[in-house]
Amino acid sequence: MRRLLLQQRLIAKGRLAIPLALCLAAWLGQTGDFRRDPRLVSLDALPDDSAECDPPLAPASGLLLVAGELPLRNLLLQERLFQNRAAAALAVAANDASQRKPERMIRDPYAAYSAVAVDAAHDEVVLTDENLFNIWIYDRGAKQPPNEKSELKRLIGGLNTKIEFQCGLYIDPANGDIYAVNNDTIDTLVVFSRQAIGDVAPDRELHTPHGTFGITVDEDKQELFLTVQHDNAIVVYNKAAKGTEAPIRVVQGDDTGLADPHAMVLDTKRNLLYVTNHGSSHQVREKGNRRKAGSPGFPLDRDDAVPGTGKIGPPSITVYSKGATGNARPLRTIQGPQTQMNWPTGIAIDEDRNELYIANDGGNSVLVFDASAQGDVAPIRVIKGPASLVSNPTGVFLDKKNNELWVANFGNHTSAVYRPDANGDVAPLRVIRSAPAGQPVPGLGNPHPLAYDSKREQILVPN
Amino acid sequence: MHGIAYDPIHDEFSVPQQFGQAILTYRGAANGEEAPIRVIQGPHTQLDAPEHLDVDPVHNEIFMPTRDGSILVFPREGRGDVAPIRVLKGPDTMLRGDAPLAVDPVNNLLIVGGGIGGGQVRLLIFNRTDSGNVKPKAVIGGPKSKLYSFGGPFAVYPQKGEIIVSVRGPGPYAEMSSEEAYVGVWNIKDNGDVPPHWTIGGPHGILRMPRGIALDVKNRNMLVSDKRLNAVLTFHFPEIF
Repeated sequence: MRRLLLQQRLIAKGRLAIPLALCLAAWLGQTGDFRRDPRLVSLDALPDDSAECDPPLAPASGLLLVAGELPLRNLLLQERLFQNRAAAALAVAANDASQRKPERMIRDPYAAYSAVAVDAAHDEVVLTDENLFNIWIYDRGAKQPPNEKSELKRLIGGLNTKIEFQCGLYIDPANGDIYAVNNDTIDTLVVFSRQAIGDVAPDRELHTPHGTFGITVDEDKQELFLTVQHDNAIVVYNKAAKGTEAPIRVVQGDDTGLADPHAMVLDTKRNLLYVTNHGSSHQVREKGNRRKAGSPGFPLDRDDAVPGTGKIGPPSITVYSKGATGNARPLRTIQGPQTQMNWPTGIAIDEDRNELYIANDGGNSVLVFDASAQGDVAPIRVIKGPASLVSNPTGVFLDKKNNELWVANFGNHTSAVYRPDANGDVAPLRVIRSAPAGQPVPGLGNPHPLAYDSKREQILVPN
Repeated sequence: MHGIAYDPIHDEFSVPQQFGQAILTYRGAANGEEAPIRVIQGPHTQLDAPEHLDVDPVHNEIFMPTRDGSILVFPREGRGDVAPIRVLKGPDTMLRGDAPLAVDPVNNLLIVGGGIGGGQVRLLIFNRTDSGNVKPKAVIGGPKSKLYSFGGPFAVYPQKGEIIVSVRGPGPYAEMSSEEAYVGVWNIKDNGDVPPHWTIGGPHGILRMPRGIALDVKNRNMLVSDKRLNAVLTFHFPEIF
């Protein structure tokens, strides 16, 4: 569960608008413009539920558009007028409410940034967006008025792009190609050239295991690494892989310490691979000969889960040799209460300073560790606090060329830039905003089930 | 996470935790980083990759499907490494893999979604207390039913015997979005290739990839999440209440 939102119900006004408008339409036998009717005025109290139109109603799409704009009191009057005629008028109604409009919709109209990367060669910053399903490209150094939306340079998005809940992001330093990972809903890594714009098909697609999240690339060996949340695994492909090409190796097994792995980063100087883990895991064992023919070389998946072996552990950073394969044991693990880790998600490394930067989603902070750390160690620096704007950060990127640290904040429509040695509640150097400051953030990200808390009149939405 | 159930009698809600193979139950007013009040987890549970669930607050049971096509039933107040008190499983059940489900504690029914391939799914209706290799008492599905693919967990309204189901639509972008998507309403008395008694939000409506359904009975509203819209929509839908 990424977040469980307890959404206050914003009910009261207008809750009867649609059915009452339908009642009125049936009574009048027309779909006229009610807004011009001077009779629609009343200060009556709310009727009880029994006064509503219980018989099936025939929707009228034109009317429905109007209904939401009608003052509730007007509708109450019309309900009074309708009561004695509704049943007969609606007796011929159909059961099609396909064009009915919702009374309310909880939706964020602005981008929610999930990952960030800088194309240093072209002086652009690239952001993925888990709300509107776009890739946003801005000038890296653009300065905007502090509380206004930033000016966009390019955008990639639309159904042809196969972009949905994107989390991992990698920019090819040689040509600016954008590698963007779709988490959970589309088992496809999409790759766009720097020229891509709008609703275009990816230049390359790679069919991946379900639940990929993080991405990193070993440019020396031309290998591409992806984490697989659901399977507690890392899959390694040829960087140029496409279609249904199989991974060249897989890291998976009881000894790996992988536990809901998220992001990764390579230390090319020391040949190490760092992985952030949220902490939950279970064992897998191959069950017979049921491997999917279209997915050769994939890790064992949830159909191979060993019942009853699940654990919900503390978050961690696990460290492996860059060439690790199979059931590889981590060389080191950073884990424990002193680390302050709480859903550690994005990760970046400064190989020269030997420091790790962690986007600590649940802790609303950016944690900086000595990359050689092991066990239960405190971070050497923490960026956190209201001035910092750090809010549910899920992406972090270190721009070595320009000596800047970028953070994607899922929680407040921003991506913010800091000096790499920033510490404490420091204001960012610059901010990219998808929304004016202070806009509410519903925090929805891949909502699936719902529950209604009738006691509190709240909607429960796991994400 | 593909399931959540609020229990209005005991004011608590339960969720599956897939990666950790657990069922977590929280107090209804839980907020922030609050620990669950109960956890079901361990080797005796048989939990493999729990995604969906439903809670029967009247008979104090939690229903949980598994990847291998069985339904595990746990005591609502179970804690720790508890074994299921019933298991519905076997070829006659027609259960296949993990699927959404809903329990109707008034009419004593269990409604389970099931895939049959070829872009069709079906609703399987069992007695609530069925156990072992039992045939469903009714099966809703077929070309006329327009049950293409389940969008997510569905809801039941026992007072009128309604089953409210989110249905993903076909099309070139079916994996992400379809204008054919809708929410349909069937009845527990249906059996066979029965079209929905009601459709709302589509086809060709506002919904693109509807998922979870919840009911606000007091205000006669139906709530639906939509993946492509990344939104939660509230439809006033008095006709079904």
